[in-house]
Amino acid sequence: MEREVLFRIRRFDGEKEYWQDFRFTARKGMTVLEGLYFIKENLDGSLAFRASCRMGICGSCAVKINGKPRLACETQIFDVGDVLEIEPLDNMPVLKDLIVDMDGFFRKHEAVKPYLIRKDDDYENPKELLQTPKELHAYYDFSLCIKCGACYSACPASATRSDYLGPAAITAAYRFCADSRDEGREDRLALVSGSEGVWRCHFNAECSEVCPKSIEPAKAIQKMRLMSAIHMIKSIFR
Amino acid sequence: MKGVSGWFTLKGKSVNSIAYSFHRLTGIVLLLYLIAHLSFLTSLRIGEETYTAFISITVRPETLPLDSLLFLATFYHAFNGLRVVLNEFGLLYEARKVLIYLMTLLALLFWLYSTYMMYVFLTG
Repeated sequence: MEREVLFRIRRFDGEKEYWQDFRFTARKGMTVLEGLYFIKENLDGSLAFRASCRMGICGSCAVKINGKPRLACETQIFDVGDVLEIEPLDNMPVLKDLIVDMDGFFRKHEAVKPYLIRKDDDYENPKELLQTPKELHAYYDFSLCIKCGACYSACPASATRSDYLGPAAITAAYRFCADSRDEGREDRLALVSGSEGVWRCHFNAECSEVCPKSIEPAKAIQKMRLMSAIHMIKSIFR
Repeated sequence: MKGVSGWFTLKGKSVNSIAYSFHRLTGIVLLLYLIAHLSFLTSLRIGEETYTAFISITVRPETLPLDSLLFLATFYHAFNGLRVVLNEFGLLYEARKVLIYLMTLLALLFWLYSTYMMYVFLTG
């Protein structure tokens, strides 16, 4: 099955922003990413977008498709319709066409120390850290984040505060705070308990709606919020 | 950054964002009402006659639609706020969409009842 589709792409050349239309014949099963490659190879070689794995693992092809942040490689054209408006992600500066500057997004992720912190780190004599299935399930879902930035794009709190950590970074913080092997909870809680952390979230929950991995960042933020509240109360009595 | 327009952008968004946008909007309406309300009360400092003159502008049948809309904003903000509080305590998170519909329905019921009561009060 084939039919003509219209890709309306919001482009940016470094100075001005404009919409450009591309019409081509799409076939059944064709993804938006394949459509973008078709345009680049046949219609306009100057179109810029990010992509890598083409299988929903790397998260680099996240764009807004008809207003909703999605992975271009996991979205089939016919599932969206005959007219697709494709835009770069929100809340991040656009560099060119569909490519956004994710540096700030990754800096925030880095800030919450998204790695296991152990007091007994000894790389010369590594030891196995055992964990029960229950302990694994406490954080496993949240470890599936691919850092595509879809949640950050959909978040209205991130739209108004550039210093807000955002759903992805707080989810990463919760993922490690909920890990039974981790000993860096206090460090992370100090980071996410500030005004730029969990208390900035106003529970729009759109992050959970758009997450291509269904990891529920809004849930992680609320769990982190509870953890943060307990931490703050405890710190008063210390 | 998208800025404040990010609060009200609904294209491609779910019912969560619609509820969020309305919550912000009704919050702004209530803030404006609070300013007007406090201004009316402050007019008491000038004298009872001034206050009565102000009140006579607003308490009359012609302003009933505005009062009714104010009650709609109040009930929506209150019930949706209750939902947000519940969800932010980690309660009923999985049922967040059902809660949106339920709270909106409750707000509409309270609004209709309050409008009816105001109408009866004004028309006798």
